[in-house]
Amino acid sequence: MNRRNFIRSTAAAGIVTGSGLHVQANGAPSWKAAFRAALDNKPWLLGFLGTDAQQFTTANARIEGRLPDALRGTLYRNGPARHEIGDYRYHHWFDGDGMVQAYRFTDAGVSHHGRMIGTSKYVAESLAGRPLYPGFGSIPDNTLPVTGPDSVNVANISMLHHGGKLLALWEAGSPHEIDPDTLDTRSIHSYSPQMRGVPFSAHPRVEPDGTLWNFGYVSGASLIVLWHIDPQGNLVKAGKVPVNPISMPHDFVVTDRHIVILNPPLYYETEATTDFLSAHVWHPERATQVLVIDKNDFDNRFTCELPAQWVFHFGNAWEDKAGVIRFDGARADSPMVMLTSFRDVMRGLEVRDDAPARHHNYRIDTRTRTAREEALLPVGLASEFPGIDARVSTKRHHRVVVLTSRQGSKAPHPMLDAVTLLDIDGGGQDTYRYPDTQIPEEHLFVPAPGSAPESDGFIVGTFLDWRTQRTGINVFDATNVASGPIGTATLDYVVPLGLHGKFVSA
Amino acid sequence: MYRMPALFCLVVIPLTASAAAETLDVQISDVRATTGNVMIAIVAGADGFADKTQPIASLILPARGDTVAFTTNALPAGEYAIRVMHDVNGNGELDANFVGVPTEPYGFSNDASGSFGPPKWEAARFSIGADGAVQRITLNH
Repeated sequence: MNRRNFIRSTAAAGIVTGSGLHVQANGAPSWKAAFRAALDNKPWLLGFLGTDAQQFTTANARIEGRLPDALRGTLYRNGPARHEIGDYRYHHWFDGDGMVQAYRFTDAGVSHHGRMIGTSKYVAESLAGRPLYPGFGSIPDNTLPVTGPDSVNVANISMLHHGGKLLALWEAGSPHEIDPDTLDTRSIHSYSPQMRGVPFSAHPRVEPDGTLWNFGYVSGASLIVLWHIDPQGNLVKAGKVPVNPISMPHDFVVTDRHIVILNPPLYYETEATTDFLSAHVWHPERATQVLVIDKNDFDNRFTCELPAQWVFHFGNAWEDKAGVIRFDGARADSPMVMLTSFRDVMRGLEVRDDAPARHHNYRIDTRTRTAREEALLPVGLASEFPGIDARVSTKRHHRVVVLTSRQGSKAPHPMLDAVTLLDIDGGGQDTYRYPDTQIPEEHLFVPAPGSAPESDGFIVGTFLDWRTQRTGINVFDATNVASGPIGTATLDYVVPLGLHGKFVSA
Repeated sequence: MYRMPALFCLVVIPLTASAAAETLDVQISDVRATTGNVMIAIVAGADGFADKTQPIASLILPARGDTVAFTTNALPAGEYAIRVMHDVNGNGELDANFVGVPTEPYGFSNDASGSFGPPKWEAARFSIGADGAVQRITLNH
């Protein structure tokens, strides 16, 4: 039985048994049964089914169009992939165990290798055949004590290639080092013995010279940790910034001089007799605190305010000579998509997002210590997953790649349905709308060799076609996105919808 | 199992202990490293558990096997809790990382656990009554 048939047959089995067998004590169908029952009417849910497989491999993906000779290297992606253990299905998309995907572009074509990340949690729960630990948004029965963040680390958000190491990142614990060739999980990576198990966010910022900055939130201690790492991967310094009340910031930005972190009013408040996400309370009437921190002296910092908002992801930041910080990000009015939508999808409910993110530009004047924001995209044009040419990271930039969807011409699935190269100065858009049966994932800008920053290059991104039950990868000419992919490589199986990746050029 | 006469190790024993003492039988398991000492503090009351007052009794037992155990009849009937740490490197402290998460094994009576910090007194307390008390503690790693 090949992978595709396996997915079909397990889905069908779930539908058959879903009506009667998998019932909770209170009479409600289990999340596993509810999800399978919904799959029939909402075939796009296939992307959230998850997998029991430890690995996927394809030596030669089916190629359509022309893949450019100048594109050589590997797209490493990460995302939650195992959503069920035994009869238990997680109650949040972000709880699934991480799986790293490698799409390799060589002279011989495109190969694919996916492999589950061997976190201690994944290994122990696989042996036990049941969930052993509480998750981000799930509390299975009879869990074991959590002795530190890494006992619940699922390493499922993003990838980092830095200092000669390939790392799989979560946001509340240590990175996991991955063998770039075999995708074997080597070990937890500690930048020093003292920093073992200290939160390291999934969105570090790397300057063009390789200097890396990151942060991590420590909810129980009301702290944000700051990391400064040199291009070789050595810890230069770490700092602690007290932040109370504390939220769960997911991304941040860095300029030549400053670190900027938004602390939105989604506060960690209640004793965690519930799951971690449910211990947070959204306060739309309160401001978003904006922390502006001197890179060279973490004690030299100030706070200003923006309206309540939720920004999962930023594009980039830079700072002019006068001391005005400019940055851009996908701003939502609330974290509803995380609090509600990514829960609902796990039991096959209708996924709503009344507060979709759309790209905004921000300015912080470090002289007057004020912040302001301006919408770049109109209401009705949603966007997320901003990406830049890495060569302009922390420097002045003009363009971001984003996924978008336009109200009124929306695809019949709740996810974003288009890829757009967005001019953040003038708002110009170069957009390709995916076919209705395809769900695009994060798309990255990959520069053409020898090109000037933000000029020639490719936009590379994966997608799930739920009708044909195949995952594919598209390559666009970055100078003409609207004309569609110049080349496509397709696998004959479904890779669970994931989150973030990095393209590592050969 | 490594067992030793605990009374010799008690560094603080209430003077009234001998009058109406009952037996406390403690076993600590999943002691993985065979270096350093297993350090045990027996406390009375929430203040003692929060380290605001001195332990009623403390013991230091060498880590020489998977399990360490002791019994004592030096404690009068009452409510107690136990904190255990395995000082693997022998520096006399429970080592912690940059943000205070322990990097050496530890445990509590009732195998109580907290979220983002130690458990509460209410979760770790137990009574020594007429029948004494038994505590089986598994170290967290």
